[in-house]
Amino acid sequence: MNHSYTVIAYFIYLPIAILLTWYVAQTLFKNGLVFMRDIFFGREDIAKATNALFKIGFYLLNIGFALYILQIYDSLNGMQSIIEVLSTKIGGFSIYLGVMLFLNLLLFFRGKKVARQKHEEHLALQNLAAPVK
Amino acid sequence: MNYNITAYFIYLSMTIFIIVFVGKYFYRNGRIFILSLLKDDAVTTDHLNNILLVAYYLFNIGYAFVKLRFWQKIENMDMLISSIANNMSVLIFILASTHYMNMILIWYLSRSKKSFLTNKTFQS
Repeated sequence: MNHSYTVIAYFIYLPIAILLTWYVAQTLFKNGLVFMRDIFFGREDIAKATNALFKIGFYLLNIGFALYILQIYDSLNGMQSIIEVLSTKIGGFSIYLGVMLFLNLLLFFRGKKVARQKHEEHLALQNLAAPVK
Repeated sequence: MNYNITAYFIYLSMTIFIIVFVGKYFYRNGRIFILSLLKDDAVTTDHLNNILLVAYYLFNIGYAFVKLRFWQKIENMDMLISSIANNMSVLIFILASTHYMNMILIWYLSRSKKSFLTNKTFQS
């Protein structure tokens, strides 16, 4: 009956990891739409499409990683070892999710900065061209 | 039925579901980018989009089937779960990395064409 503990651990680990990913993606991309509207100057269709594409990329990357680290190599022999092994795995996974969250946020801020610079250049060019016309 | 055949059935149904779901998602959300890269030519866009979807299915489902050939021997229940998870994670990582590369490609193409995606004058 040595292996049944590992199976129990997998079945506890999988829903927790997937729910955690879902929750983080939901929070990040509900607020990400605001950034996307700024980046694309209120063009709603492109903002929504880009947001959706980033969202599915986030899901693929993180659920892929959750499955990749699933395998438990130690032999488990009781409730205590299940809890110890799972806490290490889920804690590590949530730290990884935090890093990914910050990377995405950094991407949003960077896009916003570039879009604003471009907009200012555009305005400056218009102001320069106006007296000539 | 031994463990390997069970693993193949579970693996194939899950990966094909993921590939089809993600493909439909890209098909819907990527259309607008092709449309703006082809300068609002809707007919060519729809045809190109269909061809891209079919090519994506062929490559990824083909790869999912090829992986069956190199599967390890499965002896018990926990190896079943961990080997399915391992093989699926490799496939999902491939999907994710192709996806991010495509996003970089879209960004690069729209930049080199005087950036009509982020250009304000393009709206009017």
